[in-house]
Amino acid sequence: MGTSGQEKTEPTMNTSIEYDEDEVMELAMQAGELLLENGAEIFRVEETMDRICRYYGVESASQFILMNYILATAGEGHGHMFAKVRHIPVNGSHLDRVAAVNQLSREIARGQYTIEEAREALDGIRHMPEKPKSVQILASGIASGAFCCLFGGNLMDCLAAAIAGFLIYVYILYISGPHLSKIVGNVGGGAFVTLICNLLYMAGIGDHLNFMIIGSMMPLVPGVAFTVAIRDAADGDYISGTVRMIDALLVFICIAIGVGMGIAILSPLTGGAAL
Amino acid sequence: MMIQIIAAVIATVGFSVLFGVPSKYYPYCGVIGGAGWLVYLIALERFSTAGASLAATMVVIFLSRLAAVKKKCPVTIFLIAGIFPLVPGAGVYWTAYYIVTDQLRLAAETGYTAVKVAVAIVLGIVFIFELPQGLFLKLAGRKKEHH
Repeated sequence: MGTSGQEKTEPTMNTSIEYDEDEVMELAMQAGELLLENGAEIFRVEETMDRICRYYGVESASQFILMNYILATAGEGHGHMFAKVRHIPVNGSHLDRVAAVNQLSREIARGQYTIEEAREALDGIRHMPEKPKSVQILASGIASGAFCCLFGGNLMDCLAAAIAGFLIYVYILYISGPHLSKIVGNVGGGAFVTLICNLLYMAGIGDHLNFMIIGSMMPLVPGVAFTVAIRDAADGDYISGTVRMIDALLVFICIAIGVGMGIAILSPLTGGAAL
Repeated sequence: MMIQIIAAVIATVGFSVLFGVPSKYYPYCGVIGGAGWLVYLIALERFSTAGASLAATMVVIFLSRLAAVKKKCPVTIFLIAGIFPLVPGAGVYWTAYYIVTDQLRLAAETGYTAVKVAVAIVLGIVFIFELPQGLFLKLAGRKKEHH
């Protein structure tokens, strides 16, 4: 097998059969990056990168993936080597992008894409529009109301939880997400939920303060980190699983501290309404 | 009970929106979340909270894998929203609440239950992911193919 340095000297002859190693690896890394930053499990990132590399004929590729790093190398001992490390900040979960990349990699493996087209498709996925903020806020409110009902609240409680659920997502999108650290953001979120529910309760909306708070704090709960952590650990990716689990636990604890602080400060003011 | 299940469906779909699940999969997420809660409620009559969570998680994961095979997309899409009602958010709340109100025995009790529920969810996920992929392919009526 010729090294890719030699391939580059005669590109016109080989491009249709043998692809440029660097380009393939770059494509695979971009796919992996998209998956990882949008909340995919480690083994899915590995599998997808593997599938892309293998289809485009880079047999020597190997990659090492942690929850926010991708390391990939390719090359045969001497000659040209590809090696790259990339840090990937996790930016919340966009499962539609995970699904799209997954689908794309299957289509690549079926031979439906040239490298150029695949790269364009990946760019398209990266710029897939998010759901409008108004829809997210609405969904958060409705889900909070529904959760309040699940945990035993009555109709008025659900209404109050829905209002608090709207407001907490406004807080997440505009205050804690862009401006606050994870710890302060979640402690603040827990306290914020408690405050709003107390205000609503004092205004006469809702009868069970506890259920209102439980329902409306659900949008803060780190369900994705928790679930993906378990899946990683179950697949044997212990380091990523552990780190993600610590991440989830930290958020759980922060919410609890926030809610606890809220109750401790407010319950004397509301005459022990939460008791 | 009917109202509770409808609420579970709505809550699950709501969270699917927040996690960016493609909108064509909302019905599946809703059904999976509702089924999980139904099993949870039924199991709760006989078993502890943790036991019921285990049963419900197993059902949620089973259905999620089935849907994933049927729709050829990552299982995460279905299972994260579906499992959300089971995650011990309420347990965390009560623990914090009892700690703040100086009811330490109750705090320890609810905190311990929350941990047990979390472990039950872990076991449920691990058990069902251990089932061979071929079983789901067969159930979904698909021929085995190379991924």
